[in-house]
Parts: sequence; C-alpha cells; structure tokens
Amino acid sequence: MNNLEKYKECFLEALNTEENNINDNLKYAEIPEWDSIGHMTLMSAIEEKFEISIDTDDIIDFSSFKKGKEILKKYKIEF
Amino acid sequence: MPLHSSLLNKPRLVEKLKRFYDYVQKNDGKVGTKTRGIDLNLNNACNLRCKYCFTNSPKGEQAKARLPLDVLARVADEADDLGYFEFDLQGGELLLRPDILFESLEAIKPERFYLYLTTNGYRLDQKMAQKLAKAHVSRVSVSVDSMNEKTHDEIRGRKDSWRKAIEALKHVQEAGMDPYLNITMGHYNAFDPAFEELLKYSKDNNYKTLINVAVPAGMWSQMDEIMLDDKDREHLNAMRKKYKNLVRNIWNPFDRENEKVIGCTTVNRLYITPLGDVLACPYVHIKVGNVIEQSLKEIVEFGFSIKHFSDHSPVCLAGENTEFVKNYMSNFGQTIFRPADAKKIFKNEDFLDKDKVKIAY
Repeated sequence: MNNLEKYKECFLEALNTEENNINDNLKYAEIPEWDSIGHMTLMSAIEEKFEISIDTDDIIDFSSFKKGKEILKKYKIEF
Repeated sequence: MPLHSSLLNKPRLVEKLKRFYDYVQKNDGKVGTKTRGIDLNLNNACNLRCKYCFTNSPKGEQAKARLPLDVLARVADEADDLGYFEFDLQGGELLLRPDILFESLEAIKPERFYLYLTTNGYRLDQKMAQKLAKAHVSRVSVSVDSMNEKTHDEIRGRKDSWRKAIEALKHVQEAGMDPYLNITMGHYNAFDPAFEELLKYSKDNNYKTLINVAVPAGMWSQMDEIMLDDKDREHLNAMRKKYKNLVRNIWNPFDRENEKVIGCTTVNRLYITPLGDVLACPYVHIKVGNVIEQSLKEIVEFGFSIKHFSDHSPVCLAGENTEFVKNYMSNFGQTIFRPADAKKIFKNEDFLDKDKVKIAY
C-alpha cells in the first residue's frame, strides 16, 4: 500500500464516510463526519498509521485533505 | 462553519484535546484520572416539566440561584489550567434567560473549550443559533424522547415541545455547530422500536446521538427498575456498531471500531450546581467540594482520592452499577441541591492515601 492509499484509508476509517467523499476537495466540516471529534480521530488514525506525532500547530492547520498532504511532507511522508 | 465555533480556531482546545488523547492512549485506553469536562448547571429554572428530570426543575428547586460571575470566571480559568477541555452548560433551560447565558459565556471564554449547551430547544430559533455560533459555542445538544410528537410532548409536559426540538436541531446544523440529539435510554425503552427510530432519524439527518442512560436520581430517585441490564447493554453496543454516530461519555470518543470504553468519568467530568456545590458527576449526587469556598484543584484532588471515582469502572456508576446505587445513591431526598457529603458517606478505606493520588492534568 503506498502513502496515498494509507492516507485515504485513515480518512475512511476515522470518518466512517463514503469513499467518493475522499478527494482533494474535501475540507474540514464539509461533511458531518469531519467535525471536532472526527478531526481528532482522524489525527490519531494518521499518527498510528504513519507512526508519527503531529504537532498541535499542524493539527490546527490541517483544514483539508489537500492541506494534510502538504503538512505530512514535514514529517517526511511523500505522496 | 462559522469562524468562531470551529475547532480549528481554538488552538488551546486542540492542545488540551491532544493531551487527553495521548494520555488515554498511554493509559491502556482508560480515562484514569485525566481531567476532561465541566458540567455546569447555570440556572435551574425550566419551561418544561419532564418526568425524569435529574435536577428536579419541575419542582422549581433553586430556580433563581446562579453562580456569581466572578466565581464562574475563576472556575473557568482554573479548569483551563487543569486541562479540562469540555464545558457543558445546562440547566434548567438555558435559553429562558439569554442575558444570563451570554454574560456567562463571556466570563467562561469559550474560545479555549469545546463548549456546548444542553437544551430542550423550545426557544432555539435560527437567530439564536447564529448568535450562539458567533459566541464560540461548538455544539448544541437537544433532548428528544420519541419521534412520536404526542409521546415526546407528554413526557416533556408541554405541547409543541417536540416540533420545536426537531426544528432547533436543524437551526444548530445550519449555523455550523455540531448538532447532537440526546436520548435517554433505560430498561423501559431499550428494545422499544421507538428508540431505534430516534437513532435512525439522527443518523439520516447527519446528527450525532448522545446516549444518556436512565439513572435513579432526581425525579426518578429510588426507581432502580429503570436501570439498564446486561441484555440492554448488549443491545446498545450493537446499536453503537450499527449506527456509528453514537456517543456516550464512558466510550472512547476516538475509537474507530466503535467498541472501546474509556470508563466512568466521575470527577473527570465534574458537575457544578448553581450554589457552587461540586458533585462527582451530573448523576452521582455526592458532593466533593464547593467552588465558592475552594479552588478547583483542591476539589479535584479530593474527588480523585475517593477510590470509587479514581478506580476504573467499565460501566456508568449511577446508571449501571446497582451496588453503587444501593450503597451511595439511595438516601431519601438526595438531590443535586441536597447531595450526600462524600466525607460522611465514604469510610476511611474508601480513600486513597494523599501521596497515592496521581492526577493527570
């Protein structure tokens, strides 16, 4: 499984949403599943899957699927 | 989502949530002695007459009492320092007196908490929802008893209360706050098709469903027969798996499998009455301190020195542990305004030695 697939899987598992919702246009709070608790669940899924610890500032900046990929580059995760 | 109420615009909240998550992960998935939330009964006056009210609002108890604003501001500051990240404002009915509500919000500074209101929704129109979202309110929980209007109105003691509750949830969602539909589940309705009808309605409308289990307290004092049994609990767990949007305070909110339990959150979630008394939780009417006379830290340390509250319990003490209810919640007349005193009802062996009280802030 490549990083993009792993990344998508985090969204699917954490947000319990339809696969067709997961794309570059997806933004925080745009689907009901990505609410406050959903956001923290997503962060924990990413931390577990990629074995990293995400800084608080990055958790706050993580406002979309696309933005998340940019942030994860800081943690040496390439897409 | 409006700028103010969004989690992403509350950095201090994110910091505390992250600490909570890290603690639970390291503590074998258990809430342990990590500070979590404050449930504040802002004012006990109410416009409904619910049959099972746990605060005795229908009896008009302490309808005028409220915490002085300077005390409230201090408590909120202390709660923030101690890592509490949730702040649940409840009553009574908060929207009876929006003036009290909004000046309290100003004192609490909700931008640092996941702050939410629990309301019957009777006075929550579109304008009010927008005002709340602007005031950094992250979530609004509206209690609904049935999808049958007549049944709900009968339980709530007021005509039209169902229609207004259902409309209120829509206004909350449209204003961009997290909409939670609150359901009380007891032995009497666990297998009632009407219960699942509510779960379905909530899921279909993209709400979260908060399950409160029925507790023999307040208007239901001494009524142990309402408590969930093992079969009811098994059924609830199956519903949790099926609907995936159910929330309970004893469940792990970050669990993607929808099966983990963090444990009963007595003292992790303190309940403060309008008189300043601090109870172990909204349903365990045992006093562990008073915020007018003591600091929150002192109260939390005392609360967690009681083994029943610091030890892990996989079930809700007030709603599922019959032994605990029999021993500590069955005193005649025990209410939020006449709580049992922890210092009197617990014996020496119920307390931890001071040096053994380890609290995670």
